[in-house]
Amino acid sequence: MKVLIANRGEIAVRVMRACREMDLPTVAVYSDCDRHARHVGEADQAFHIGPSEAARSYLNIDAILDAARHAGADAIHPGYGFLAENGDFARACRDAGLIFIGPSPETIALMGSKTAARGAAERAGVSVVPGTHQPFGADVPDRVLTDAANAIGYPILVKAVAGGGGKGMRTVEDPRDLSSAIRAARSEAGAAFGDTRVYFERRLLRPRHIEIQLLGDHFGTIVPFVERECSIQRRHQKVVEESPSIAVKPKLRRQIADAAARVAQTVGYTNAGTIEFLLDEDESFYFLEMNTRLQVEHPVTEMVTSIDLVRWQIRIARGERLEIDPDRALTPLGHAIECRIYAEDPDLGFMPSPGLIRGLRPAAGPGIRDDSGVSAGYTVPVHYDSMIAKLVAWADSRRDAIARMTRALREYQVLGIRTTIPFFLWLMRQHAYAEGRYDTTYLDRLLDERKGESFSELDSGDEELVTIAAALDAYWRAGVSESSEQVSRALSMWQQTARREALRD
Amino acid sequence: MTVEIEIAGRGRTVSVEPAGAGRYRVLIDGHPHLVDAVRVGEFSLSLIVDGQPPVSADRGSDSRTGCDPGTDPSPDPRTDRGSDPATPRVTREIHIAPGTARGETLVGIDGRTVAVTVNGRRSRRVAEGGSQAHGVQAVTAPMPGRIVRVLVQPGDRIAARQGVIVVEAMKMENELRSPKAGKVKEVTVSPGTSVEAGRILVVIE
Repeated sequence: MKVLIANRGEIAVRVMRACREMDLPTVAVYSDCDRHARHVGEADQAFHIGPSEAARSYLNIDAILDAARHAGADAIHPGYGFLAENGDFARACRDAGLIFIGPSPETIALMGSKTAARGAAERAGVSVVPGTHQPFGADVPDRVLTDAANAIGYPILVKAVAGGGGKGMRTVEDPRDLSSAIRAARSEAGAAFGDTRVYFERRLLRPRHIEIQLLGDHFGTIVPFVERECSIQRRHQKVVEESPSIAVKPKLRRQIADAAARVAQTVGYTNAGTIEFLLDEDESFYFLEMNTRLQVEHPVTEMVTSIDLVRWQIRIARGERLEIDPDRALTPLGHAIECRIYAEDPDLGFMPSPGLIRGLRPAAGPGIRDDSGVSAGYTVPVHYDSMIAKLVAWADSRRDAIARMTRALREYQVLGIRTTIPFFLWLMRQHAYAEGRYDTTYLDRLLDERKGESFSELDSGDEELVTIAAALDAYWRAGVSESSEQVSRALSMWQQTARREALRD
Repeated sequence: MTVEIEIAGRGRTVSVEPAGAGRYRVLIDGHPHLVDAVRVGEFSLSLIVDGQPPVSADRGSDSRTGCDPGTDPSPDPRTDRGSDPATPRVTREIHIAPGTARGETLVGIDGRTVAVTVNGRRSRRVAEGGSQAHGVQAVTAPMPGRIVRVLVQPGDRIAARQGVIVVEAMKMENELRSPKAGKVKEVTVSPGTSVEAGRILVVIE
């Protein structure tokens, strides 16, 4: 089975690694600015699919299917993002006789609508966060919106029906801010997903974000996995994920996993998917949404269960039966933490910092996994998400995993651009984080309190070392240019001599 | 050779002289360090910086750093405490590479990254100006992107660090802030405009 990976960056590399291990040939696709990207070099074949803008390359269904045809691919893995949750793409793959490594187009479409997904959860007997059942189109009068929001009770979340990744989502605490929040959510959702419809949800005060990874085969078997805790979020975007959650004891784990499996059974789910829940302080939990694809944070699950999820995605797509011991999937060994390393400047409000990576030495050593999509000499483009790597640390206990992550972050060198590594080093030192006392609002509150101090604050000893290094660097570079001047002077003397010699004859 | 090194707003005068056998005498504001230094690849330096013996036992006879006590600047509060404990030898790998902004040098040490200025070649980063910025200032696009929202109009009074414009780049909306308190003089773009890096978006006086 030849697999085309309809994606780029670290997830394309991750999927190719699984394919290589299964002895399956791989096909990469790339846009103009990704010709020198790592995923192109790691595939067996590569096809250009268009200009740098995602809409004309990685989101271009026709171009990707063309590439699959030319390559003679049998299957397409969509990764996450781009076309991964696009039912039309999954259907187009099926119509073209290709295996789509993911759930059916019908399931993607159903669970892709947040309001329909809430309906499915309710049918499965799983509580949902109180909110509106119908999406609001652009023509709904303000009066209806105000009444709906009042009926749920503030604070509320305005969410795009097609949303994801924190886009098209706004918190409203004060009823007077409702209409501007709806406008902002609609504009973002329209640009990102081409769908401006929104719905409302009550915002729980101190919830944790807990999610259940699951796999489903084509014979009706669903296997839920130990939970992931993704409460460390900046503006609704996950930045650190862990497994297991410090807040979930075995009994609660079974309850949440059972609820997730029931939702998946209700919609006849196949392949890999994740059901997200909000966990309240009193241990009640509510269905939030389902992601019908592989998640960014899947490695923490792999680390604590030793089960390769991508490998199983491919095996399920090939029609194999799930042969995973359900107890093993639900019993974590040790603790894993993942930090999403972004090309962003944490000292400048996490502004994207694309550009040339001049040097790269990822962290390694015991218990460390680096899922990277870049290499030295690659220019991080401005066109896509700015995540360049995921750093995962595994250890026996959560405490040791934090210590190991800290060690690895200090080792990880990305030269030439700014990354979020200094931010993660700071986060790993926070007491509340170390003690596991946090919810989804924790990081934003903590960052507000900092008022923009640098995450790379140096003590006097380190500042001295940096000063010495910078001075020596300047000294050497000055020396290099002096000696190269001498070289060119010497060269021109030779040239003059040669010319004189030539004239003499 | 003498250079001016500035880190996080603090400037220092540093001189470097070879001291033989891969070692260098580095004076930071007159304070001596003996450094064993080698380059590792194009952008990394491995430093072994000798510690200081207790100052009381060391007066006037620092043969290790080779400093002439007669030219030692004095009194330096750090060396004048009389009975400083010995500081240990420190070994560290430090990474120095050009950054993405023009003239910017980024230095990495133990997972942290700081911008360093050598001889006053500052990196120009408007958004970092804070309330200290004076005169007419421009908010420029830090990277190519598309204008999503303009939050101010010409004539508006604004505070330092107040958001003025929202640019979408790399799939995220980024709010750009004013480098100073003042009045909006000009807005050069409107929502939907695609902008190149460095383009002036808003002028504040």
